Amino acid sequence: MEALKQAFNFSDFQRFDLLVAGSTAIFLLLFPLLPHSSFAMSTLIQFLMFSLYGMGWNTIGGYGGQVDLGKAQYVGIGAFTTAVMLIRWDIPFWVSMPTGMFLAICWSFIIGYPLFRLTGHYFAIATIATSLILKDIFEVWDFVGAARGLEISPIKYTSPDFLRLIFKEDMYYYYIILAFFFIGIFYVNWFRKSRLGFQLRSIKDNEDVARSLGINVHWAKIKTYAVATAFVSMVGSFHACYIKNIEPEDTMNLDLSILIALMAMLGGAGSLWGPIIGAAVLIPLKSYLKEYLGAQVGFVGIDLILYALIIMLISAFEPRGIWGIIEKIRQRRGK
Amino acid sequence: MSILLSSIVAGLLFGMVLAFISLGLTIIFGVMDIVNFAHGEFLMIGMYTGLFTAQATGIDPLLTLPVAALVGFSLGVICYYGFIRFLLRGPILAQLLGTFGLMLLLRNLALMIFGSEDRALHKGILVGKSFELGMGVIIPATKAVVAGLSVVAFLAIWLFMNRSRVGKALTATALNAQGARYMGIPTERMNALAWGIGVATVTIAGALIVNFWPVNPFVGILFTMIAFTIVALGGFGSIPGAFFAGIIVGLITEIPGFWDFITYTFNVGWMADVPMTSLKYMWVYLTYFVIMVLRPRGLFGWKH
Repeated sequence: MEALKQAFNFSDFQRFDLLVAGSTAIFLLLFPLLPHSSFAMSTLIQFLMFSLYGMGWNTIGGYGGQVDLGKAQYVGIGAFTTAVMLIRWDIPFWVSMPTGMFLAICWSFIIGYPLFRLTGHYFAIATIATSLILKDIFEVWDFVGAARGLEISPIKYTSPDFLRLIFKEDMYYYYIILAFFFIGIFYVNWFRKSRLGFQLRSIKDNEDVARSLGINVHWAKIKTYAVATAFVSMVGSFHACYIKNIEPEDTMNLDLSILIALMAMLGGAGSLWGPIIGAAVLIPLKSYLKEYLGAQVGFVGIDLILYALIIMLISAFEPRGIWGIIEKIRQRRGK
Repeated sequence: MSILLSSIVAGLLFGMVLAFISLGLTIIFGVMDIVNFAHGEFLMIGMYTGLFTAQATGIDPLLTLPVAALVGFSLGVICYYGFIRFLLRGPILAQLLGTFGLMLLLRNLALMIFGSEDRALHKGILVGKSFELGMGVIIPATKAVVAGLSVVAFLAIWLFMNRSRVGKALTATALNAQGARYMGIPTERMNALAWGIGVATVTIAGALIVNFWPVNPFVGILFTMIAFTIVALGGFGSIPGAFFAGIIVGLITEIPGFWDFITYTFNVGWMADVPMTSLKYMWVYLTYFVIMVLRPRGLFGWKH
């Protein structure tokens, strides 16, 4: 009960921020009823998925300051668990999603235990390495479709199928991921004020001091890593049903891991709104650049070049992200 | 038996090639603690430089090395003054993502300019030649030359870092940048020099490996990951460490060869079914992971 009250308590934000957040929420709820193109709809679904990935990354990377560049492996675990269970045994999404989360958490404990002995660059590269190990295994493992991956054929199922999450219209997918999105926000809002959240932030500030205060640093990191993992694998399961065609090369590659971390950093790592702002800027930018400059004007690769320039500018000149810029402006006004 | 021997020899040779590729990464990391994701892309640029210089001028690919070195050195210095300088002030996350952005930029520029097809060298003194050591071991001349030059490059860099005045200043910057600044060492210029040398060595390696490895804009990422593994295994910034770690990783990439040896010698049926060749690089990452856990500073880690 107390936890729920904490989750719905946003009183430490300024009224203006809450106004913006509230109107955005109303817009997101009403969006499918407004006139829109299917391209805009799929971009918004992408935005919601990536905000959730970013929120997951943010718990360990933003609040905890552990640079994790291997989140894609959990996207893969979630996606493949759902796809395998649906295709081979016809098990509904609402069972396979928690199973995927459970498997992802188990894997996160197995690799997290040795991983969190490392710090800095060693940790970052080790997370990449574990992700690539898993990807290589999936690429030769016939049970999960090897390098060809798995395809959920929608023809077999009557549409709309809420149990298995197979729909023809994107609108249903939209509302389901939107529900996840709201749950995610409330969860992170609770998390950052929970005991673990405070422990984690003290670890980020100074690990030695945190240890001397009696915090079990290693265990706190592992627990938070499991939380982050659960988030990411949950969206991975959704991804499997939404995209319907998953390959290790798409769901578990390094670019996806980096994109997830980038999302949070662009918006502002370590703040509740950061990953959402980051995804709101980056995902539409990426998909519209690709659509208009890449596909229509014919500059193949120009979208990625611009995208690379944005990454470079942000990381060189404003590593605290957009949220950092907003706070800077506010401080200047306050003076 | 000959499978085993040729696997070992191939592993040693490939290991020296990989060590050569990682040399630049370890220099850069050693001096300024920055992990460079764009390393493989510099390798790719070196490969294209070697390829096009050889094709345009008609000289032998081996003679394109000075061009590659020049391109690499200026590219490294430009990157440092134009971009990396600003990254060094930020947190680790910004550094990692910033160099990742550089990697995306270089890769996609290459894609735009050169297209996505594979290009390879078809002529040259070395191409297609090989010599036999006996017992069925055959060494391609291209790889042998790269391996030999790799040893030379390591010795040269090691001597430079430990014997020359500028090299000592570089080492001092690596050990304690602030202290070095108090002693009157221009650390900013030392960082730029490290980037110049680091990128130059990898473009030279690129101009060499284009003799036996086809080039396309996406060739970098595999080598980046392997170079990370080697540098981490050898201890970030350690030059002898990178050499030995390179050889270890080279031998590990030949695990499929050893696997075949056991499969055929003892005639084990189930072993033949395992797609070991596809798992080649998994063993590299796994070794990295295990060694990191046991020895978090790497095999020859010297800093911190």
